[in-house]
Amino acid sequence: MIRAWTFPTLLSVLVVLPGCRKSEQIDKPTIAFVMKTLNNPFFIDMRKGAEAEAQRLGVSLIVQAAEREVDVEKQMQIVENLIQRKVSALCITPSGSREIVPAIRKANEANIPVLIVDTRVDQKALAEAGATTLSFIGSDNKDGGRIAGEFIVAQLNGKGSIAVLEGIPGHETGDDRLHGLRLALDQAKGIKIVASQTANWERDQGFNVFQNILQAHPDVQALFACNDMMALGAIEAISAAQSKHKIIVVGFDAIDDSRRAILKGEMSASVAQHPEEMGSLAVEHAYKAMKGERIPLEIPIRIELVKKEDLLGQGSNK
Amino acid sequence: MISKELFWQNSRQLGTLIGLLLVMIIFWILSPYFMTVSNLLNIAEQTSINAIIAVGMTFVIITAGIDLSVGSIVALSGVALADMLQAGHAGPLAIAVGLMVGALCGLVNGSLISYGKLPPFIATLGMMSVARGAALFYTDGRPISGFNADFRFLATGEVLSIPVPVVLMLFLYGIAYLVLNRTKLGRYAYAIGGNEEAANLSGINTKLVKTIVYGLCGLLSGLAAVVLTARLNSAQPIAGMMYELDAIAAVVIGGTSLMGGEGKISGTLIGAFIMGVLRNGLNLLGISSFTQQIIIGSVIILAVLVDMTLRNDRKPLFGKGLFK
Repeated sequence: MIRAWTFPTLLSVLVVLPGCRKSEQIDKPTIAFVMKTLNNPFFIDMRKGAEAEAQRLGVSLIVQAAEREVDVEKQMQIVENLIQRKVSALCITPSGSREIVPAIRKANEANIPVLIVDTRVDQKALAEAGATTLSFIGSDNKDGGRIAGEFIVAQLNGKGSIAVLEGIPGHETGDDRLHGLRLALDQAKGIKIVASQTANWERDQGFNVFQNILQAHPDVQALFACNDMMALGAIEAISAAQSKHKIIVVGFDAIDDSRRAILKGEMSASVAQHPEEMGSLAVEHAYKAMKGERIPLEIPIRIELVKKEDLLGQGSNK
Repeated sequence: MISKELFWQNSRQLGTLIGLLLVMIIFWILSPYFMTVSNLLNIAEQTSINAIIAVGMTFVIITAGIDLSVGSIVALSGVALADMLQAGHAGPLAIAVGLMVGALCGLVNGSLISYGKLPPFIATLGMMSVARGAALFYTDGRPISGFNADFRFLATGEVLSIPVPVVLMLFLYGIAYLVLNRTKLGRYAYAIGGNEEAANLSGINTKLVKTIVYGLCGLLSGLAAVVLTARLNSAQPIAGMMYELDAIAAVVIGGTSLMGGEGKISGTLIGAFIMGVLRNGLNLLGISSFTQQIIIGSVIILAVLVDMTLRNDRKPLFGKGLFK
């Protein structure tokens, strides 16, 4: 029986060790930030912004995310657990525009203010559940898609064939970017989308899917990818295919890797959101909300196209 | 030797339970928010979906099999159910369809393994992809969401102030205990896992029993889909990814051997709770999501180490069940 005890004891020591550090923070007001994932550069930047702002304001910040970006149920569990933890305010980047609604409802019942960051919540689902959010902090993805589309139209002089790498279907962020792109392309009658497929936001899938698209449409002239990870996968596929003509690649998010690719000329442009700004404004307004101040319903974050010229002007800090 | 056998089997259960209690006591000390009625109910509710899938997985693993398709079956059952609900069919009918889809997938798994003589790993790996693809194809990749309050009662309702999913889970473990210990099906499952050849020679229709066991596992995945869909008010074709690993982990932490022939359903419930308590407690403490994964993984490894140490014979875990 002694041996039966030893391992559970060891096991619990393992749990205690990382726990001890944090326990002294329990009584400070705490803002919780639940992200979609913590291993995508976009969210890493958002986290940086949030942490810097929390430090400035002197509040403690808990940043959590599910192991898998698409796991909406785990995200809901995290929100439920943070409600039990009695955090003072919740910032959420929803993994699912509708699936997050029951969790928001629970936060409402516990009187914890909820701010939504980056990805909008489905307003109809929110109303049906009788749930409310205080504010939305993010960029207009539709606008981003539109400026990417206008850039491609201009580069192709109004005619040519383009391919699209979509995000996860039913995901509001990706759908909005596509919608914006189509709005811009509709203005130019000579442009045709020859292939539009999902690569589930991922770099390796971006590689594979675009490789397949190149097989079917070797003469495609431009690619719009709904995020940079997929665009970065695609430029690998392009260099592997050694295509004779240049393919214009436009991504979304302007993460560091794609800025480098743009400087090298492998990628033409990327739509920049400002995740650090999103993170810091989210925490700033969560802090105001938690002190009972009124905050605006919409806090727009600027969105712009980053091209080689812009980066050369900036020097080498990125 | 029988008495020694009994001793380690029981002490093993006790070891797992003590592990759970220790983890709970530690969180109790570290966080003032842990040991409250509302948080414990919260944990039970969060554990229910994994625990329900793990019941079926326990049966499968006792027969020395494995089912990798449960997560995909959750997705397929979920979208079938959600589509029925959205088309305006009555709740019970829609639920029945969801359960049937799950059971059917499981029966296909079982038939491929029993009559097609495929290794369980391969058959269910195939089903994992087929069911996932079917769910994506059926919905065109989009989630189906928005159901009425009657259906959502299955996740949001309470019976005697206990959440419905928890009631469902406890009821199910009661039934599973009876089936495993008091019925022929249960005893045959153990016999097959212990020695399939011998079970066959002693007149057990091993093929039929295995088919039923996988069918049951599919059915319970369908039930998990019902709870999940009600909980999120949405059914996603990408739901349930990697749920198979959580379920297998709960079963293994609970002391059921991947070699088959032994294991207890109560252990699985404790195993599922250890995982649920860890996730909850680590969230309450605000520990980084990355560290959480390291801790949960280490616990799985330690739990199996305890199990093997107590058994005193370190047979390889993936002995005959997976690749025979």
